[in-house]
Amino acid sequence: MGKLMIQRGHDGPARQCTWKRDSLSLSTPQLVGPTTIPDLALVYVTATRDELSKTTSIVVLPSLIENVVPVVTDTTALIVAPTLAGIDGLDSEAARLTLTAQTRLIRQWDVAGEHFAIHVPSSTSLSDFRDIIRTSQELGVRAAVFHLDGSLGPRDLQAVSLRSQLPRNWLTVATGKIQPAFVPVLYYLGFDIIDASYAETAALAHRRLWRMESEVVTSWDTARYCGCHACHDATSEGPIEQTLLLHNMEMFHSLLSEAVHARAHGRLRWLVESLSHTSPSMASFLRLVDKRVFDFIEEFTPTVGSGTVPLIGPESYDAPAIKRWRDRLVARYTPPEGKKIVLLLPCSARKPYSDSRSHRRFIETIENSIGPARHEIAEVILTSPLGVIPRELERIYPIANYDIPVTGDWDAEEIRIAADALVSHMKKFPPDVVVIAHVSGGYAQVVQAAQDGIAQSIIYTIREGSATSREALDSLASTLRDMKEVLALHGGRSTLLEETLRATADFQFGPGAGMLLVPEGTSVSGKLYRRVICRDHGTQLASYLAENGLLSLTLDGGCRLSEHGSYWVRFDGEVLQGGSLFAVAVKDADEKIRPGDEVIILNKSNEVVAVGRSEMSGREMCDFTNGRAVSVRHRRK
Amino acid sequence: MIDELTELSTHIQQMSLKSRGSSIAQRRRRDPRQPAAAWVTTARIGYDTGTAISIVLSTIGCSYARGPHGGCTMCSYLLDGTSTQVSADDLVSQFETAMTKVATTSSPLSVKIYTSGSFLDPAEVPPEARHRILSLIAADDRIVQVILESRPEYVTESVLAEIQKALGTRDVEIGIGLESANDTVRLMCINKGFTLKDFERVVSLARGYGIGTRAYVLIKPPFLTERDALFDAIDTMTTAARLGVTTISVNPVDIQRHTLVESLWNSGQYRPPWLWTVVQALHQARQEIPSNVVIVCDPVAAGKKRGTHNCGKCDKAIVSAIRKFSLSQDVKDLEGFTCDCLMKWEHSLVHEDLSKVPHDHQQ
Repeated sequence: MGKLMIQRGHDGPARQCTWKRDSLSLSTPQLVGPTTIPDLALVYVTATRDELSKTTSIVVLPSLIENVVPVVTDTTALIVAPTLAGIDGLDSEAARLTLTAQTRLIRQWDVAGEHFAIHVPSSTSLSDFRDIIRTSQELGVRAAVFHLDGSLGPRDLQAVSLRSQLPRNWLTVATGKIQPAFVPVLYYLGFDIIDASYAETAALAHRRLWRMESEVVTSWDTARYCGCHACHDATSEGPIEQTLLLHNMEMFHSLLSEAVHARAHGRLRWLVESLSHTSPSMASFLRLVDKRVFDFIEEFTPTVGSGTVPLIGPESYDAPAIKRWRDRLVARYTPPEGKKIVLLLPCSARKPYSDSRSHRRFIETIENSIGPARHEIAEVILTSPLGVIPRELERIYPIANYDIPVTGDWDAEEIRIAADALVSHMKKFPPDVVVIAHVSGGYAQVVQAAQDGIAQSIIYTIREGSATSREALDSLASTLRDMKEVLALHGGRSTLLEETLRATADFQFGPGAGMLLVPEGTSVSGKLYRRVICRDHGTQLASYLAENGLLSLTLDGGCRLSEHGSYWVRFDGEVLQGGSLFAVAVKDADEKIRPGDEVIILNKSNEVVAVGRSEMSGREMCDFTNGRAVSVRHRRK
Repeated sequence: MIDELTELSTHIQQMSLKSRGSSIAQRRRRDPRQPAAAWVTTARIGYDTGTAISIVLSTIGCSYARGPHGGCTMCSYLLDGTSTQVSADDLVSQFETAMTKVATTSSPLSVKIYTSGSFLDPAEVPPEARHRILSLIAADDRIVQVILESRPEYVTESVLAEIQKALGTRDVEIGIGLESANDTVRLMCINKGFTLKDFERVVSLARGYGIGTRAYVLIKPPFLTERDALFDAIDTMTTAARLGVTTISVNPVDIQRHTLVESLWNSGQYRPPWLWTVVQALHQARQEIPSNVVIVCDPVAAGKKRGTHNCGKCDKAIVSAIRKFSLSQDVKDLEGFTCDCLMKWEHSLVHEDLSKVPHDHQQ
C-alpha cells in the first residue's frame, strides 16, 4: 500500500515523511531530476520514451493522447497520470476534464490507485479540485503533481492554493522552473518532492546558480570564487556544463538542507522570509501566499516554540504565528473585571517585558505612586507587529520570543496594525475606564491613530522623549496619583496570578476556559516567573509555567476542560496505554488543535483518560495513519 | 477517445472560436483583382529542379474556419482573404496577375494554388473560376506540375474527373492538411474536423484518377510537449507514406494572430517547435519512407520567435539546410550540425514531459 508516514516536527505545512510502498521507501523532502543529473536519490523518466532507471523513479506517463498503459517495477515510487501540455493555458473546465480523464484511466487500468499521482493543471478551480480529490481518494490515490512556471505569478499562486486543498497524507510534488531560493518556500508550503531540473536548464545556459541569484560563467578566470568541489576541481579543458550542473545541484541540495534544518529549529518561516528578498516577485509571492492560504499555513504552525523569533520586515507582519496571535487576542481575550485604568506602555527588547529594565521602572513607578491599587490597572504593552499585549499574556509564544529591529520609527502598516489592535482591545473595556498613554514616538502615533476609534478618554503622560526618562516617569507617577483620587482607586489584594491564569486559559482554549479552570475561590500560588499552581478545594487543576507562559493540565483539569468542548482528541478505545497517542488510533479530533497545544484525550465513552501536548494539528491526527499525535503527560491508570 | 477527451474537443473548439474573436468580421476588403500573395522559388519538380510559383488567391476564406466549428487551432490564414465573396472573373484575374511573375521563366514550372482555404470548395472558389483557371494552366506548356489545396470533403469524384480531363498527363497533386495521423491530435488539439479515414479515402480516390496527394504534416500542434510533437510528426509522415501520398510537406507551427495557439503562446504555455525537432523528424522520416515519396519543408517565420526556432545563433544555417534537403532529399544535408542549444533542446524534450511548462519561451 502506498503510504505517507509522517515524522515528528512542524513549522508550517512543511514536514518530514517517508513514502512507503511494498519494499520501496523514500524519505522526503527530496529533490527529483532527470537521469542526467548525477547522484540523485530520486529521478524521473517518461514511460516508453526514457530508459527505466535503477534509481527510485517517478514514472511519467506521456500525453493523454497516447494512452500508454502503466507498468510498476521495483523502483517505481510513483506513476504520474497523463495530462496535456499547455492545458494550464485554457480555463478551469479544460482542467477539470483533464483531471476527470486521469481518474477514469486510473480506474480502468489494472494497476492499483495507490501507485498514481494525479497531474494537476494550475488552472483547476478549487471546487472542481475538491471533487477530484474525493474521487481520487476512493481510487486509493495519495499523491499529486503540480506545475510551477517559476514566474511566481497568478498561476503559481493557484498551484499553491490547489496544493492546500489536499489531505495531509498525500505526497506532493512540485515540478517546473524552480530556482534554488524557491526550494525552502515550496518546502514550507508542504511540497515533499521538488523538481531540481532547473540546475540542468541553467547549466546548459552556462548559468551558475547561487543562493539568491545567478551568474553567467564564460571562463573560469573571470568567474566568482566558489569553494564547492565541482568548481574547485574545474579546469578550463573540462566541459563547463558538467561543472556547472554539479555546482547548481550543490546549491539545490544546500538550500533544501538549510530548509530542513531550519524547520527542525522552528526557523523555517524566518528562512522563507529572508529568501523572499531574492527578488520583488518572490516578495510579492510570499505576501500573496500569506493572504491566499493563510488558514492552511496557520493550521500547521506550532503554538509553542523556544528560540528567538526574528520579525524583520513587512513579510513578518502577517506571518501565521503573528497574525494568529492578533486574531486570537481579539477572539479570546476578556479583560478582568474591575479595571479602572488602561495603562499603555511601550515594549522592550528584553522578554518577558516585566524582566526588562524599562518595565521594572514602570512597575516601580506604579507601585510607588498608587501601591496596591495597581490591580485596578490593566497594563497593556504596544508593540509591532503583534499589536497590543495584555500584561497577563506576556510570557506566551511568540510574545516572549520575538525580536524586531528597533529604530523608533514605525511604518504606516505597523501603525495601522497596532492602532486596529488597540481599537478592538479598548472595545472590551467599559467606557468609563481612563486610558493613560505612557508612550512616545511611534507608540504615541499608534495611540493617536487609534484615538477616534476609542470611546474612553485618553491622557498622555509624555510630552517628548523617552518613556523611561526621569521626567516621563515623574509625569506618570503624578498622573496615577491624580487618577487614584479622581477614580477613587483603593487598595486590595493583588489579582495578577488569577488574572494571568484565566487569561492564559482563555487564550489557550477559548473564552470561558479561564472560569472553568480557575473558578472564583481557587487557590493560586507560586511565582509568575517560575511556576504557579492552581488548586480548587485542594485538587490541582493546572500549573502555569513561566518558560512558555502556558497552562499544563492535570487529569482533573482535563475533566473540567472537557465541559468546554474544545481541544479534545478522541481515540478508538477505552483505556490508553503508554506515553503517546498515535494518529492511527485517533478517531476524531478538534480541528482547532495546532502542533504544541495542550489537549485532552477522550475515550470511546467520552471520558477524559489523559492530557498531553499535541504533536500535530487536529486534522492531521485524522488524516494520517501513523505518527505521534499526542505526547501524553498524565493518564488515567 | 474516452468521453472526457470528446468533451474536451468540444471545449477546445469553443476556446478556439473565442480566440478568433471578431477578427474574421473585421477583415479588410481587398482589391478583388489582386492575389493575396504570389512568390517564386526554386523547387524540386519530379527528379528535376525547376521554378515554382505559389499563388495565394484572395477569397472569402476557408468555409470551415468561417463556420460554427471555428477552424483549426493554429490557423488564421483566412485573415489574408477578403471580407466579401469574390467573383469568378476576379479570381481568374488574380491568377493571371500572379502568372505575370513567371511570364519569362522557362520550363519546368510548378504552379501551387492556395486560397487560405480550399480551392475545390465551390462556396469559396466558384466552379466557373476553377474551370477557367484549370484551362489557363492546361494552355501553358511550361507547367509540368500543379498543386491544388483542399480539405478532403470537397475532393469528389466529379471534381477529380474535371481535373483529370483539364490537366491530362501533368503531374497533379492535391494538398490536404492531414496535420497528424493521430485522430485525437487532429480532432482535439487541432480541431481539424476530419478523420484519418476521410484522408485515406481521398488518397485512394485521387490515385484512381492518376492524381497524387500531398500531405501537410504539422510539427507541434498545441497540447503536445516537444517530444510528443517529435514522435507525432514522425508517425504522421510514415503513416501518410504508407497510405500512398506522393509528397509530404512538413509545416512547423508558427504563431498566427487570433488563434488558440497564439493565446497559449501569450500565456507562456506554448513554444513553436525547435528547429532541432524539425531536423530530427525529417531525418528520421526520410530514412523510413520510400524514396518515391518526396519530403519537403519550407518553414514559415523560421528563426523568428513566432516561428520554429533554436537559439538564434544556429537558426540560419539549419533553416538553409532544411531547404537544401527539401531539394536534394539527402539526409546528409541535415547532418553535422551542432550548437550550444542542442543540449538545451535534449533537456527540454525530457523535462517537458514531466513539467509541461515549455522551456525557452520568448515573447
